[in-house]
Amino acid sequence: LAERLYAEVRSEEALYLLATCYYRSGKPYKAYRLLKAHSCSTPQVRFLLAKCCVELSKLAEGEQVLIGGVLNKQKSQDDIITEFGDSASFTLSLLGHIYCKTDRAAKGAECFQRSLTLNPFLWSPFQNLCHLGDKPDPDQMFKLSALPNSTLAPPPLHITPSQNPSHRLDTALMETPQDTLELNRLNLESSGKLTSDLSVSYIDSSLISPETGSLLGNTISIASAGSLLAKQNKPKSGRNLLGGPAALSPLTPSFGIVPLEPSPGDPTYLQNFSATMETQTTASSKKSVSRIGQSKSVFSQSGNSRDVLPIPFNQSQTSAPHTSGSPQVLSPSMSGPPNVQPRRSSRLFTSASSTAKENSKKLKMKFPTKIPNRKTKCKSAKTSNSSNLNESLDILRLDPSLSLPDTRIPQYQRAAADSVMALLRELGRGYQALCSYNCREAINILTSLPPQHYNTGWVLTHIGRAYFELAEYMQAERLFSEVRRIESYRVEGMEIYSTTLWHLQKDVALSALAKDLTDMDKNCPEAWCVAGNCFSLQREHDIAIKFFQRAIQVDPGFAYAYTLLGHEFVLTEELDRALACFRNAIRVNSRHYNAWYGLGMIYYKQEKFSLAEIHFKKALSINPQSSVLLCHIGVVQHALKKSDAALETLNRAIVIDPKNPLCKFHRASILFANDKYKAALQELEELKQIVPKESLVYFLIGKVYKKLGQTHLALMNFSWAMDLDPKGANNQIKEAIDKRYLPEDEGVQRVIIDPHRSTYYSVDDSQDSSIMTDADDTQLHTAESDDVL
Amino acid sequence: MATPSKTPPGADPKQLERTGTVREIGSQAVWSLSSCKPGFGMDQLRDDNLETYWQSDGSQPHLVNIQFRRRTTVKMLCIYADYKSDESYTPSKISVRVGNNFHNLQEIRQLEMVEPSGWIHISLLNQRTNEPISTFMIQIAVLANHQNGRDTHMRQIKVYTPVEESSIGKYPRCTTVDFMMYRTIR
Repeated sequence: LAERLYAEVRSEEALYLLATCYYRSGKPYKAYRLLKAHSCSTPQVRFLLAKCCVELSKLAEGEQVLIGGVLNKQKSQDDIITEFGDSASFTLSLLGHIYCKTDRAAKGAECFQRSLTLNPFLWSPFQNLCHLGDKPDPDQMFKLSALPNSTLAPPPLHITPSQNPSHRLDTALMETPQDTLELNRLNLESSGKLTSDLSVSYIDSSLISPETGSLLGNTISIASAGSLLAKQNKPKSGRNLLGGPAALSPLTPSFGIVPLEPSPGDPTYLQNFSATMETQTTASSKKSVSRIGQSKSVFSQSGNSRDVLPIPFNQSQTSAPHTSGSPQVLSPSMSGPPNVQPRRSSRLFTSASSTAKENSKKLKMKFPTKIPNRKTKCKSAKTSNSSNLNESLDILRLDPSLSLPDTRIPQYQRAAADSVMALLRELGRGYQALCSYNCREAINILTSLPPQHYNTGWVLTHIGRAYFELAEYMQAERLFSEVRRIESYRVEGMEIYSTTLWHLQKDVALSALAKDLTDMDKNCPEAWCVAGNCFSLQREHDIAIKFFQRAIQVDPGFAYAYTLLGHEFVLTEELDRALACFRNAIRVNSRHYNAWYGLGMIYYKQEKFSLAEIHFKKALSINPQSSVLLCHIGVVQHALKKSDAALETLNRAIVIDPKNPLCKFHRASILFANDKYKAALQELEELKQIVPKESLVYFLIGKVYKKLGQTHLALMNFSWAMDLDPKGANNQIKEAIDKRYLPEDEGVQRVIIDPHRSTYYSVDDSQDSSIMTDADDTQLHTAESDDVL
Repeated sequence: MATPSKTPPGADPKQLERTGTVREIGSQAVWSLSSCKPGFGMDQLRDDNLETYWQSDGSQPHLVNIQFRRRTTVKMLCIYADYKSDESYTPSKISVRVGNNFHNLQEIRQLEMVEPSGWIHISLLNQRTNEPISTFMIQIAVLANHQNGRDTHMRQIKVYTPVEESSIGKYPRCTTVDFMMYRTIR
């Protein structure tokens, strides 16, 4: 239909509309080609074109479109701001993204900051800033002061097109009000979404009527709707519409995409909606995530607020109450006031969501409890939703008498926005702490969130990740399994979960996770990473490699997949390819400290110790509190003969994480190498207490005793070590025992090793006592000899 | 005259792989055969399928050459042979030679099999030091078959290298999950 419209009207707006349709339906290349074919001057069109370019990875072009090209004078950011008006924040955000991808991180950061100052509700620029390693101060960022009041004015909502194809033409002309609406919506939405597992209760009729209120783009009526609501419908749950969508975008790698997660509440919400309304349209089914991804961006476009203003609102305010009858009737009557425009079918975003937002804001006032309202937001409704909205309109229209004074509205908005900000601030602080790997603090901040936020997938995932970075895998695993329980559809944090399980060697859980995720969504790289991890744990490295490569195919921008692939190559000894993989990972995300660590490991294996040290230090600079890293640096330094530095590093590591047994172990080994036997022994005794079943500990103790000349103890420990390691035909241990005897002249021991059974026999001439262990395969006969080493 | 005892079958190599102490590296090598019957060649030898086999087609000794890109430590060879299904085609005397190239091979192991019925593990440890050998090339030569058969069947061959599990330091592998958790960042 949009095509027909375009054919008919051939105007800029129609072009925009058509392009939007294409974009939303997931075919950005169509939109791209279309827009390229026609010169585009209006900012919104340019924005859409730029977005398409970014999606298609034509970053240079996107940038050119936004900035004005190399030939023309490059516009400065201020120009952009003035040009794009209210949607400048999104534009800047997009621009920042382009800069980051093309390696101009500083400019990118600047763009992000500006966009945040323009529109503090945006979460993704903030997130990107964190990723870049800047430390944006959440308190600064999420401040409302900069935001002019007008932007908060809820733009009139549009009824989704479903009902009014006939009105398309009208709509074509009446775009403006939509913009404001969208902008608003966009603002709110982009602030992120909190996935909350609040379900139905959240959706309640109170929400609905306010929605309708917003539908009419009537702030006043919204307020009235509130009361209206109270009157008409029994509010399902007295709630708390969260002032605003403090939605935190889930950890998607894609920028600028304010993912709209299908909120489980939406369908229910819709149902409620319908329940209350007489007329009903089927609630839209949950949208798939991909849909959301698409719709999201369009929102931003719609965000092109143009000169939208409260003016239309006011108009609609008055008119709204007068509307009566079916929504269809409404539309025509409203055609005067621009705000009610039947949305074109192409517009996927539901006005509902915006209304919801608005409503929530209002309601928030009324109901102080905060509930993430993202659900409504998220609806990338299908057209059916729109009809719901229409219905809501009905409700609204009912009450002409209601009218709040205009002045109260900004107040409400303000208060709503404030609470949103407060929440965003908290989340921002937590997120930023995590990104700078300040994990303990991140955990503290995030756990202090109010429980309804805490129990959401996003928050739990991030806390889980914080524990993961701290190497507290048990805790992390617990949290992640909680996430799975709450939100089984969440994929974003799952690759970390899979690695946690890999570390803990829980193959059953890992394979279950892999199966579930790959069944659920074959197009997300996380699922393939999980599968790869699963096979890697089973030591089927070739298959794991295949899966990681698939993950990379699915999303070449997913740094972790490269890192994991690199690790697999290391395990299969293909060090060159591993190097390439790690370098790729760094190319994608230079703050991916795992990749730096991987490079360090490879150099260590190749015995290029100084290179290894450099890389480890780089990883450490990104993540300063990882005790494992410090441990490795210590060992490398020891290999470089800087034993004192090594010891100091290890001490630091132990201070940071006293539970890391390897640090102590390595410290003991360095002490041993430096001939400080007593100290080493002491360490090892401590270790024995901590990890009594570890054969390496006994092995090292044995070596120390051997050096000290206490052969009995040495042998005893060696035998314990062998005991504890039945599978590993540990040559080193055997050798250690062998060497014990080799230099001796008499009491010859002949050692026979049976290759089939990994059994160790020693035969000696002199009679001796033998020490028997009850290991399954291994039997150790050692002979005491007179000589002491 | 006592009947010679049959060669007992070894453990399934897959189990060994699971322990993580060894890794199959046949895929990193170039394999060649001295002769083969069409349809019973290299693919059948390396396809992980015990039903398919390589059948040689020339004169004895029949050779399987395994050449690596770089000097590789090899710990063990596993050959699957089954007297019941192959009878006179079952190899009975196998010689393993290693070296740098075809002219440089030295025999390091020779073994006799009597009616084998499963996996035969041939460990390639240096006699003196008990370390796995490190070589460019391995040649498996079938010198004689059961019942003096001319050609031989080989169902599967796997080559294993020891896995250096310890990611840091020159220590043997750790055994407890606690240690392993901290061993590496992934």
